[in-house]
Amino acid sequence: MKNRKKEHLYFILPGVLTLLLIVIFPTIFLWYISFTDYELSAGWENRRMVGFENYTYLLTRDKDFWYSTGISIFFMIFTVGVEFILGLATALLFNRQIRGKRLWMSFLMIPMVITPTIISLIWKLMLNTEYGVLNYILSLFSISKINWLGYENALWSVMMVDIWEWTPFMALILYAGLQALPQEPYEAATVDGASSFQIFHYLTLPLLKPIIVIALLLRSIDSLKTFDIVYGLTQGGPGNATELLSLHIYRLGFKHTGWIGRASSNAVILLLLITLLVTILLRSMRQTNEGET
Amino acid sequence: MLTNFNKKRTINFFLNLLMILVVLAAVFPFFWMVMTSLKTRAQTIDPSIWIFKPTLENYQAVFEKRDLSLYIKNSFIIVSLTTVISVFLGTLTAYGLARYKFSHKEDLAFWILSLRMLPPMAVVIPFFLLGRFIGLLDTHLLLIVVYFSFNIPFTVWMMRGFIEDIPLELEEAAWVDGCSRLQAIMKVVFPLVIPGIAATAIFCVIQSWNEFALAFFLSSFNARTVPTTVTFFLSVIGVLWGEMAAVGVVATVPVLVFAFIVQKYLVRGLTFGAIKS
Repeated sequence: MKNRKKEHLYFILPGVLTLLLIVIFPTIFLWYISFTDYELSAGWENRRMVGFENYTYLLTRDKDFWYSTGISIFFMIFTVGVEFILGLATALLFNRQIRGKRLWMSFLMIPMVITPTIISLIWKLMLNTEYGVLNYILSLFSISKINWLGYENALWSVMMVDIWEWTPFMALILYAGLQALPQEPYEAATVDGASSFQIFHYLTLPLLKPIIVIALLLRSIDSLKTFDIVYGLTQGGPGNATELLSLHIYRLGFKHTGWIGRASSNAVILLLLITLLVTILLRSMRQTNEGET
Repeated sequence: MLTNFNKKRTINFFLNLLMILVVLAAVFPFFWMVMTSLKTRAQTIDPSIWIFKPTLENYQAVFEKRDLSLYIKNSFIIVSLTTVISVFLGTLTAYGLARYKFSHKEDLAFWILSLRMLPPMAVVIPFFLLGRFIGLLDTHLLLIVVYFSFNIPFTVWMMRGFIEDIPLELEEAAWVDGCSRLQAIMKVVFPLVIPGIAATAIFCVIQSWNEFALAFFLSSFNARTVPTTVTFFLSVIGVLWGEMAAVGVVATVPVLVFAFIVQKYLVRGLTFGAIKS
């Protein structure tokens, strides 16, 4: 009987111990580095403990850090918001009787499963001012050339690519939600003479709410992590126009300066921001789970 | 009545048109990549050319000059090993979570899930330093192990759902027939979750194959994977767009094929099993 009680550990421990070793240990190490003045060029043995100096530097003197935080949050709210609206519209568009629906929908998943760095370079080609296909198509409608990746437009262009990449995510999840909706309330509402807008507003949206919350949070978390497509498109430039938090860490730690200590404190801040969102996500997932059982 | 019918048909026509536009927008960059990869250098910078005689010179160039096969080999080694080990360890943990009751079980499960959300640019710094200290930078092993950090949590959550879908009674019947727990798993559970394992493994393959940030900072030459080839093409002047597109086609076609195979489980995979469609 005693043995039985511990039996689950044989199954659980190998995986959990591996995760402790490769994730928790490095994360603690990251916190440690963030309190040192370690620089790549200076050598590991010459590091000193500097307390919160890296944090006060970021928060009080590094204007670029605040700019990066600001555009990261703006990027998150704007792209996730647009992806949600377009995704919901797409899900409704597909939630009809369509011949060959499975095939149509499989095209929809291309943007999000395709290798992000690779497709970001294709976008870079398509967005080129002189010979990009986007400006070519616009010229057919006599619209003058747009400098998509110039200082003024770069952030908007990066957001456009992100929206292209992730709207299908919202669409497919919301479509799955629509398909799983119960039929009875709809029949009742139709009998009662509700308009389709009323049905959508008072029935579909509330019923979809748990799924909407999870989809929004999952996307927000991923959005704060964004690195690949921006690296491929602009590497954070021109200047620091598209330098999201992940790219700011990259610039501090690896690109020119090699300030690993400061980059680490920035990484810790990003980690905390994401932890906040993850906590909210997990709470709502647990609620949905308990609602099911 | 007839006008109502006609109105419905017109609306449906426009909705179908809209749907085709949405699909075109989703597919166009991939289409343009394939086009570009088949163009000569002069043609790649002329977007008005849509019909041309395709050439394979870009593909020839990326394998001969850029040594693309080396990158593919590295990706293949790293992706296959990290997937096999992650799916094995993760499925064991998933079984423990699915079939046993113990205190703080859900806390443990959600802690594991939270690890899946770690930002790569945050953890890459300690991985980089630790890798340097133990001399593992730029090895396949380091990337295989580092990729556990997202593949194991993903597997745990996917497989827990798949295992819970199998009625416990089937296992209990096997125990009554004298099977041990392990025998029952091998004879009853395993055959039934093979589709789930296959789907989970394919998702791990896609995620690992596409991963860029960790691969980029933790490798320099020997363990470079396919996505890091972007660095060839970052300089603004004189980018060889045709070669870049050829690399892109070679790199992404396997991913797309895999994605089509797991289409049925896509929503489940994207939401870590939270939404089963």
